[in-house]
Amino acid sequence: MNQNATAASETRIDFGALRALVVDDYPGMRNALRLTLSNFGITKVQLAASASEAIFQIRNKAYDFILCDFNLGEGRDGQQLLEELRHSRLIPLETVFIMVTAESFYEKVVATAELAPDDYLIKPFSAETLCGRLVAILQRKRAFAEAYRHYQAQQVEAAIAACDRLLREQPRYAVDALRFKGELLIALGRFDEAEKLYQQVIAMRAIPWARLGLARALHLKHDDDAAEAELRDVLEHAPEMVAAYDLLADVCLARKDSQSAQEALQHGVAVSARTVRRQQRLGEVAMDNGDLDAARTAFSEAVEKGRHSIFIGPADYGNLCRVQLEQGDLKAVADTLRQNRRTLESNPDGRLVMAVTQSRLYTREGKADDAARALDIAADLRAAGAQGAPHLLLDLASACMANGRADEADAVVADVARNAHDSEALLEKARRIYAEAGREAAGRNVLASATADVRKLNNEGVVLAQKGDFRGATEKLLAACESAPFNPRVSMNAVWVILKYLDQDGMDEQMIQTARYHLAEAERRAPAHPRLAGLRLHLMEVEGRFGIKRASA
Amino acid sequence: MIDDDNAFYAVLIHELKNNLGLLSMTIDRIPPSGGAACDSAVDVARLQCQGVVERLQQALTIYRAKQGHLRARIDAYSPHELIAEVGQRAETLAHGRIRIDVAVDESVPPIWFFDRDLVEMALINAIHNSLVYARSVMRIEAGAGHGWLELTVRDDSAGYPGHILASVAAGAPCRARGTGLGLQFARLIAQAHEHRGRLGELHLANDGGAVFRLRLP
Ligand SMILES: Nc1ncnc2c1ncn2[C@@H]1O[C@H](COP(=O)(O)OP(=O)(O)O)[C@@H](O)[C@H]1O
Repeated sequence: MNQNATAASETRIDFGALRALVVDDYPGMRNALRLTLSNFGITKVQLAASASEAIFQIRNKAYDFILCDFNLGEGRDGQQLLEELRHSRLIPLETVFIMVTAESFYEKVVATAELAPDDYLIKPFSAETLCGRLVAILQRKRAFAEAYRHYQAQQVEAAIAACDRLLREQPRYAVDALRFKGELLIALGRFDEAEKLYQQVIAMRAIPWARLGLARALHLKHDDDAAEAELRDVLEHAPEMVAAYDLLADVCLARKDSQSAQEALQHGVAVSARTVRRQQRLGEVAMDNGDLDAARTAFSEAVEKGRHSIFIGPADYGNLCRVQLEQGDLKAVADTLRQNRRTLESNPDGRLVMAVTQSRLYTREGKADDAARALDIAADLRAAGAQGAPHLLLDLASACMANGRADEADAVVADVARNAHDSEALLEKARRIYAEAGREAAGRNVLASATADVRKLNNEGVVLAQKGDFRGATEKLLAACESAPFNPRVSMNAVWVILKYLDQDGMDEQMIQTARYHLAEAERRAPAHPRLAGLRLHLMEVEGRFGIKRASA
Repeated sequence: MIDDDNAFYAVLIHELKNNLGLLSMTIDRIPPSGGAACDSAVDVARLQCQGVVERLQQALTIYRAKQGHLRARIDAYSPHELIAEVGQRAETLAHGRIRIDVAVDESVPPIWFFDRDLVEMALINAIHNSLVYARSVMRIEAGAGHGWLELTVRDDSAGYPGHILASVAAGAPCRARGTGLGLQFARLIAQAHEHRGRLGELHLANDGGAVFRLRLP
């Protein structure tokens, strides 16, 4: 009668061999969990009191099972830990990650499936529940072993085939297999198939993740009307689904409705303010909309909540200072710099943020000598290779102009323009800076000549590629990359034609190297760009085809 | 102001629930002493502790339902795994005092769509009741048919008192202990499950004992 007893005995789990890590900031809970685990035979248990301790241990040793409390006191929380582990590829798909939360509302903080734990347990939970869930996940992972293996070996087609096999042979895992397959199809850019798959799930039951997947597929197919309709309906039924707000913001931005994008992100932040990246985006969108108050709130939240996150960098402090400056709140700027001095001084990019911000601060305060000194420091840092975010560089240009350094300003603007020849927002901001300095004509010249070369090379390259001349296209685009090394659009085009060239002409290890380099560059500049996933997988397939091992990140 | 107060109490209850959770884990770790009197006292303590934890959990869930937040988070789960898990829990809580039978019918598909946490809470509440009232045996069953999944906890107790059957059938509002708060709560959970216009149901009956049945569309 009891099918489960037989099923369990078919796939015995060897608890004694399982290497477990318990992460909890409360010693009483850590020990209680350790004893609970040992009660059903998991004896290889290590303990960590914080996210950084956990990361240290995970770097040194592989674990099969991580049991982590969401709330870890000071520092990163469990979700931030998980996102870092996944982002830095510190845990393979086979590792079980279970989140322990005090809230049955935990799910709302989870952005997407790839950032979700394998399961979550609501405190307090019984030993049987923990054991039952763990066994179920281990069995599921066992069923997915083949799909995972192919995926991690960059054989995405084979991973999809493994999902199809599960769909046919293991009805218990059909929905899980569909979910994984949907993500693979999206990553491969096969949006039509993904759309059908999600429709198929929805026909069984309108589960929120399937509706979200459908909306994502529609958005990537540029059917933004349908995507928006789907998302608005999802949110009406489940207003706590933050991932839907993020996607809605993408959809709104795609149709150039940045006001609605800001509203969507604000809703998302109202449900869950913790996610650093949502705050960063909200700040940027609000800034573009000229909503300084909202931008300031978002940027300070990002810096505050992300104090321990790898997703926070010098640019975030730069953003916060910029909005404070634009509000004329000079005291706040000085405070921000002072409070974060240690962080900023620890690397050249951070020092550049400080120097640029200080030069603007001193300029406002009428301290010309101090401003000049700060600009000298900024110039030295740039000469030594410090890179600034485009907005920071435009700040620098405007400070240069305000201090009578027009040539220096023009060079900086040209640099930004080359690397953002297609970003209307940045070019517009540059024009504004020239207008404020009464140098409109000079500005037009600088921008036109800076973007002309890149635009030309890029367009010629794309045309050649469309004609099928991938070798010629590669030459053009690599030349474009040389003059605009940080231009994500150009980098992605270069990667695309190189891969096409390799598809056509076969193995060229040097070229694979080059593609890898430019892809990494594009990922750094435009981390959420929808083209990236497809390029990444295309590169993996090329590497897989030629049997090249990916250099570990 | 009243809302603030309520939120404050909710947080407080939340904390109490977590503290009690720790206490119940501690109780779980007390090794059997061999002395029957001592062991049965520990068993009672464990049950009572879990009972309070559950009550607090119900209070929080009802609080959220009142705020308009009791939304089922539906996903695909295995009813087989669910029943195996609550069966194990019943076994542990019973400590051999009564017999626990578990039966999953052939008709039950490998996956069903429901909110696992909520359904589990409702079943555990029923299991607690049966542990208190059953004479010698409790049976946890799953069956399916006509687009419904049925999860049943039945026992050989004297059965539900008439006023409880009547008030659950009538859908009367929750009140205090002994007036069926736990069962009303189970009814709320059932109704939070909706599929193609059909709502989940709670059926109570007396048939050789108490029969608690959740029907999920
Ligand atoms: N398995 C059972 N057998 C007999 N009576 C039961 C059983 N379960 C519940 N009852 C009766 O129904 C009442 C309401 O149950 P419930 O709502 O779960 O408890 P509470 O009101 O304490 O939350 C109990 O007080 C008890 O009188």
